[in-house]
Amino acid sequence: MKRALTIALLATLLGILLFGLTDLFPPAEVRPWAEMARAYGAGNGVASIVLGSRLYDTLLEVLVFALAMVGVRYTLKPLGKWREPVVPERGVVREMADVLLPVIIVFAVYLAASGHLGPGGGFPAGAIAGSGLLLLAMAKGIERLSRELHEGTLEPLEYGTIAVLLVLGCLSIPLNHRGSGLLVVFNLLIGIEVTIGAWVVLHYFASHRGEI
Amino acid sequence: MTVLLLAVLAFALAAVALTRRRLLWGVAVLGAHSLVLAALYFALSAPDVALAEAAIGFGLVTFVYLLAIRRTGRIAVAAVECRPLLYPEGEEVVGLVWELLELLAARTHRELELRWVERGEVEGLLSSREADLAAGDLVPSARETAFPRVPLLPTRIVRVRRGKGPLGAISGSREAERLPRGGRLFPRRGELLEALERGELGGAVVNLLELRSFYLRGTFRDAEIEPLEDADFVVLFAPDEGELAEALREIMTELREKGEWEELLRRYL
Amino acid sequence: MAAQIGTVLGIGLVFLGFGALLLRRSLIWKLLGLNVASGGAIVFLVALSHRPGAVPPLSGYPEGTPSADPLPQALVLTAIVIHFATLALSLAYAISLTERFHTQETGRIEAAAEEEMER
Repeated sequence: MKRALTIALLATLLGILLFGLTDLFPPAEVRPWAEMARAYGAGNGVASIVLGSRLYDTLLEVLVFALAMVGVRYTLKPLGKWREPVVPERGVVREMADVLLPVIIVFAVYLAASGHLGPGGGFPAGAIAGSGLLLLAMAKGIERLSRELHEGTLEPLEYGTIAVLLVLGCLSIPLNHRGSGLLVVFNLLIGIEVTIGAWVVLHYFASHRGEI
Repeated sequence: MTVLLLAVLAFALAAVALTRRRLLWGVAVLGAHSLVLAALYFALSAPDVALAEAAIGFGLVTFVYLLAIRRTGRIAVAAVECRPLLYPEGEEVVGLVWELLELLAARTHRELELRWVERGEVEGLLSSREADLAAGDLVPSARETAFPRVPLLPTRIVRVRRGKGPLGAISGSREAERLPRGGRLFPRRGELLEALERGELGGAVVNLLELRSFYLRGTFRDAEIEPLEDADFVVLFAPDEGELAEALREIMTELREKGEWEELLRRYL
Repeated sequence: MAAQIGTVLGIGLVFLGFGALLLRRSLIWKLLGLNVASGGAIVFLVALSHRPGAVPPLSGYPEGTPSADPLPQALVLTAIVIHFATLALSLAYAISLTERFHTQETGRIEAAAEEEMER
């Protein structure tokens, strides 16, 4: 019974997917997006959709992202901390981290700030900044980095970012305010949010890791 | 053309990743797969998606998996306690086999994670891959000869009889398989020894190292000993750990060539 | 042509991923399978947005060049980010399950959980 159901499900899925190959539904005409992008002050069609016509979708997605991070915090916290091995003062890694980190952060900020003009935007920028923090954590030891970052202040900052994003988003559509400036602010805020989220995940996985 | 090449590569990498046995390999190959996908998105004129995939799918997701499975960088050892081969001394673990295991860990750049187990648990731990290898008081039973193994020391299985009463052996071992009908099984060597000293048993089926430890404690001074078969103490490996077994075999060959093996034997036996 | 290749690859990856999801017994391997399946869905949508000879949906190309459809690409962008978030949460659950039942095999976890419920 279970097996038959599985096969039926997979066959249905295959059937649906194969429609992509048939000529029954020819690819739709690409709707002219350049006009719309210009109206939102963007040069990138994808950015004008993500931060313009489908803004609520994106904002709620950021909310889901933040909720998942809250879930990670509350699932891993009761496991107790792993005794962190002493990080040796590895010369090469630390020197490289000191040199590379500013470059990585500048690149991330550039990606976020120019996301409305070219490829980029807040999501990849946040992920890149988060990876930069991980590099630093490898060089310094994760607990020490966490103390230096003032872990306690990160959580309010994260929730504050979300609140500002939601308020801005909810106000911008009824007030019909559009423009490049707004998109840059959105991208930067999303970048901050994703950076903090990535840091939370990496930090909690590294220090509360159970037996797996 | 580029698209076709990237698509074939992406599918092949995904197939390779999902058919690995070792989680670490699966995650590493999947990271490469993600990078190829990012290139493919770029070729399909979606630079935004390509950038997101490279930063998140390749960067963060791989990091998260690696952090979550960091323990797979260790060799999980199921250890059966056996004086001079592998035994605890205070907080430390010492023995002939332990020195070999430390060499193996150094060669494969992995850490050792030891867990003391009873003889009968070995087969289950290895076949469920909860342990990567098992060592110590280990002469493989008929069923355990299916695992990859590296022989360390020749030994002999003997039947020792001292009086009337049933014979005893350690359950799950090769010795237990040679036990005549009506014999009694014990989970640990200590319990077998106690039963012998209480006089509940008329003898035991043991290997030479066990016999030696009985002699050292004064049991069996005047027993009749009958050899049953020649066997080897081995290190047993989980079914997919052939590479680890190969590494240990190389270490043994090198030790024998340098003559350090004899020195180890003299030190411990 | 490129779009068709992308579509076929997407279907292939979805099935590969679901196969691993159904056949593998370990939680982490199931998540890796899900990872591949989600990648397949993304390839599928990106391939749908592609047009023969299309340029990326960015301004600055000469007027009249056909461009890829930005809408599926925007949808996919959010899918990638959400995939990371849900993956992190699932791995956290997997870690806490392993901590409690000392195994990652779904069958054993279910058996242990049932035993615990009866008690």
